[in-house]
Amino acid sequence: MEKLTFKVQRYDPDKDKKPYTQVFTIPFKHGMTVLDGLIYIKENVDNTLSFRSSCRMGICGSCGMLINNLPMLACHTPIEELKKDTITVRSLPNFPIVRDLVADLSLLFEKHKSVKPYIIAPDMAEAEKPTAEFLQSQLQLEEFVQFAYCVKCGLCMAACPTVATDKHFLGPQPLAQACRYSADRRDGGAKERFQQADTPHGIWLCHLAGACSEACPKGVDPALAIQLLKRAIISDDLRLRKKPVPPSVAQPQAEKKPKVAVPEFTIKRPGAKS
Amino acid sequence: MRESHLKILQYITAIGIFFLVGLHLIISHLSSGEPTDWTSVAQRATSTGWLAAYILILIFGIYHGLHGVRGLILELSLPNRAVKVLNWSIVLIGIAVFGYAVYIPIQAF
Repeated sequence: MEKLTFKVQRYDPDKDKKPYTQVFTIPFKHGMTVLDGLIYIKENVDNTLSFRSSCRMGICGSCGMLINNLPMLACHTPIEELKKDTITVRSLPNFPIVRDLVADLSLLFEKHKSVKPYIIAPDMAEAEKPTAEFLQSQLQLEEFVQFAYCVKCGLCMAACPTVATDKHFLGPQPLAQACRYSADRRDGGAKERFQQADTPHGIWLCHLAGACSEACPKGVDPALAIQLLKRAIISDDLRLRKKPVPPSVAQPQAEKKPKVAVPEFTIKRPGAKS
Repeated sequence: MRESHLKILQYITAIGIFFLVGLHLIISHLSSGEPTDWTSVAQRATSTGWLAAYILILIFGIYHGLHGVRGLILELSLPNRAVKVLNWSIVLIGIAVFGYAVYIPIQAF
């Protein structure tokens, strides 16, 4: 494989009526990712190509695209793994296009905000003037930590067949985050999130297709989170849900263990007293 | 009514249909005798237990089916007002179908 053919979706809402495909041929380099290919095109072939990227290491979630018909992060997709020398790149489906490969994710962020993705403290006095940190055991953390890896790239929303047909459907990302925060022992806002998820366009429209979990580049498994949230809502309705135990407050650090003395410098500065 | 309550009823009716239709199949079709014979049909029609079972199957089936149809239609990105219209239409269709279908076993009883 010496040359690569990039079939890239182009669209300028000011000029074009609908998206079209432009073909670029670029040299292949070992270890190259799809994002590297797009950067090469922008720097050497056509500087009008628009795409979004930032960290280049699968952390920021900016470069979500439809690569060979699958939603993926461009920076996280080595070209060799695609096993093809022709790569089709389009903007994420289920989102409006801003330009070329840039999708408008504002709907995702609105839906994400609607599920209150933050800790709602059960004890406001403690939350406003904390006396110490909240204790959280390893087991308590493991109840939700997988869902906390979400980078809000929108790939799960692009893969979801229900989001494709119902634009009002909350979608896998917000529902997974509703599960993540409701499962957190430090949180007291589960009921508010249940109300938000338990609507005609809410959690019950999920068919458990599992496309969200397959698309997620961080292994969040939103489909599992949705199932856990369904169980929590039903249990809450039937009054079978265990009342969450309020988190215990840790002893202040200074009382728990003595301060460790600062070690001496290993390199003696000239003129310093020995 | 909250969506989760409707969903709980959906699960309950699914279990109910499973057992009642299973019972109907075993007693009417797998046991000895001729279930479609006139005397057998007439005998079942005058039994209070069978009448109750048929009405329950009817209620469970109508609810389960119409709730499923509602779920399918909800995926069409309906605005809130249309969802209300859909809900009331489903309720009215359910009542109408139940009223029509329950007439036959009650009259036979």
